[in-house]
Amino acid sequence: MKCKVCKRETESKFCEFHDKAYRNIVKEYDVWKKASDVSWKEYLSEIANNSYTGLWAKEVTEYLMKSGEK
Amino acid sequence: MHFERVKKGKPRMEKYTLIVTEKPNAAQRIAKALDSQGKPEKIEEDGVPYFLAHRDQKLVVVPALGHLYTVVHERGRRNYYPVFNFKWAPRYSAERRAKQTRTWIEVISKLASNAENFIAACDYDLEGSLIGHCILKYACSDKEGVAKRMKFSTLTKNELKKAYEDPLPSLNFALIEAGRTRHEVDWLYGVNLSRALTLAAKRWSGRYATLSTGRVQGPTLKFLVRREKKIRSFVPTPYWSIRSEVEVKDSVYEVEYETKTFEKKADAEAVVEACKGKTGEIETIEMKKLQQKPPIPFDLGKLQTEAYSLFRYTEALISYPRTSSQKLPPTIDYKAILKKLKKKAAYKKLASDLLKKDELKPVEGKKEDPAHPAIYPTGNIPERELSEPEKRVWDLVVRRFMAVFGEPAIKQSMKTSIVVNGHYFYLRGRRVLKEGWMRFYKPYVRAEEVLLPAIKEGEKVSMKQVMREDKFTKPPSRYNPSSLLQKMEEEGIGTKATRADIIETLYSRGYAAEERIVATDLGFDIADVLSRYCPIVTSVKFTRELEEKMEKIQTNSEDRVNVLVEAVNQLKPVLEELKEKEQTIGQVLSQAIKRARMQERIIGNCPDCKTGKLTILYSRKTKKRFIGCTNYFKGICTTSFPLPQKGTAKPAQKNCKGCEWPLVFVRMRGKRPWMLCFNPKCPLKEERRKRNEMQSLQKGN
Repeated sequence: MKCKVCKRETESKFCEFHDKAYRNIVKEYDVWKKASDVSWKEYLSEIANNSYTGLWAKEVTEYLMKSGEK
Repeated sequence: MHFERVKKGKPRMEKYTLIVTEKPNAAQRIAKALDSQGKPEKIEEDGVPYFLAHRDQKLVVVPALGHLYTVVHERGRRNYYPVFNFKWAPRYSAERRAKQTRTWIEVISKLASNAENFIAACDYDLEGSLIGHCILKYACSDKEGVAKRMKFSTLTKNELKKAYEDPLPSLNFALIEAGRTRHEVDWLYGVNLSRALTLAAKRWSGRYATLSTGRVQGPTLKFLVRREKKIRSFVPTPYWSIRSEVEVKDSVYEVEYETKTFEKKADAEAVVEACKGKTGEIETIEMKKLQQKPPIPFDLGKLQTEAYSLFRYTEALISYPRTSSQKLPPTIDYKAILKKLKKKAAYKKLASDLLKKDELKPVEGKKEDPAHPAIYPTGNIPERELSEPEKRVWDLVVRRFMAVFGEPAIKQSMKTSIVVNGHYFYLRGRRVLKEGWMRFYKPYVRAEEVLLPAIKEGEKVSMKQVMREDKFTKPPSRYNPSSLLQKMEEEGIGTKATRADIIETLYSRGYAAEERIVATDLGFDIADVLSRYCPIVTSVKFTRELEEKMEKIQTNSEDRVNVLVEAVNQLKPVLEELKEKEQTIGQVLSQAIKRARMQERIIGNCPDCKTGKLTILYSRKTKKRFIGCTNYFKGICTTSFPLPQKGTAKPAQKNCKGCEWPLVFVRMRGKRPWMLCFNPKCPLKEERRKRNEMQSLQKGN
């Protein structure tokens, strides 16, 4: 199986690096939701455009936005 | 001095005492201090300088060039592992770039053959002791047992004279053993692990690429990779704060709200709503007086950190900066240094004021270094014009030196609490009551005073501004060479002599890049392979424990052989595992190298399709070099540009000023290297063409 983002060989949907980013994205959504009650889509769009978002997190965000997966 | 001319015209001297030093500069200063006239004779033989001095007897002071000997593989080829048999040999036999050490050793050997007595006068630390020992043992034919040891921490005349007149009867063998062990353990780890990685990649791909790791290099790379992972997978979260200002007696001051951050936007908005445009009342006024001691003297790490934060510059024009000491012993002669500094107009007043003190006692830190004191200015005024960065670092060192003798600074702080509609805001004031040491350390310390008007409790003040600030959490910042060095020091890995070289190796191997250090993809893959197949090699705990054991050898509380045996026993299973998994590791590394090489050839984004990358490629048919878009392989973009076929061409990492296209750096034999803009429609090219046409027309007229 290949990572959905970088095509590295992996045993799950994402490689080790993008999986870490994905887990962060999911984890931090709770903080965003509590803070300003944003939807998942709005959240993805916010972090995709934020300059502090890391490269892998941005790549996963873009993938999630395109695929519509959660 | 008496010379006996020999056939070739070279002087041959009477019997003398040979003093071995670590570096030419130290040899000169030692010879000058020991010569009864203070004027030693400098002789140069095959480019190797040495000094003749005369005291109670004839002295020849000869320098080394740092380490002249190193650990090498005892016998055998270079392309296999594990290797556990090693010996000490001249550096020129092992390192291509150390050719000059051959003449150095030859000259020292020649001087040793006529010497009667031997003294080691290298730095009194691990490396210095080992340098002296190797020279006495190998270049001077086993004189390490009869040699005496000069022990000094500064190269000042008095201390050097004392060290010569009252030397230690023998070398410090515990220190030497500790130094030897460190080099041998590092060699065992470095050679075996580097060969394992390099050979794995070569056997899989058939191509050679130098890959390296080591006992300290592995954990250091891990610091970078760990930080990079955090940065790359970072997801910011929002938080809010209150920005507010208050008007007091016609002046506006910034005040801070009682809660620094809010996790919910609504909570921050509620505060703004409650306080905007309202009047507040000063409830309490607290005054505090505090004393701020002068800073401690610079060791290398502290100087690098301060110089980096002030000037973004890490080199310094000062002698013996490789010190971990934060102590300034009186033997350096504070008064003499200050008197010399007085000659410089900028320091005249400050140095004179210090010289008026009854007693000069520096504030010192805890760290000590047996070889050197903390960094201090020698007092010599630079003879040549210093470059701007050199000037700054020198000024920083001079001012810090003076500051450590200063009185404590006395500051006063004032905290005023203002209540607005049940919410608390704080107005803080600061002022310096007595400058003390800060006067000497300007402009590198700023008082940052906030002077408040006279106010009373119960007084009314109006809120000028209360607004919500939207903020986001930030990823951790990247290491720079100085902060990485500090991290290594904090974690207790490496030594002051090796840390900077290890960081340099990470750059030269392509594992790290840029000033704000970014771990490259190759660095990621190397760290990944190491932590997957030999986690012990990147374990900071293991490295630190080994360091501690090696340190114990210095105090005779650990045995050198035990440490070596233990290191080999730890290494053996690691190497077996690496060998067993060689194919898998080779594949991972080869792919990583391929990606890294590909990355090195990427010039920039494709100006046509905007999604591909322009890369330096080679035609399979003609073998010619050109620039092409990576989307060509997907059948999306056919953009390509020609490149000169001779010389080397690589991405310049800069854009053209005329068209903003990425540039290519071309180097050709016999020509000056140049930046090539490959955009055929670049306006600069058009301008140049018109200018050339105009010039040829003018010539024609």
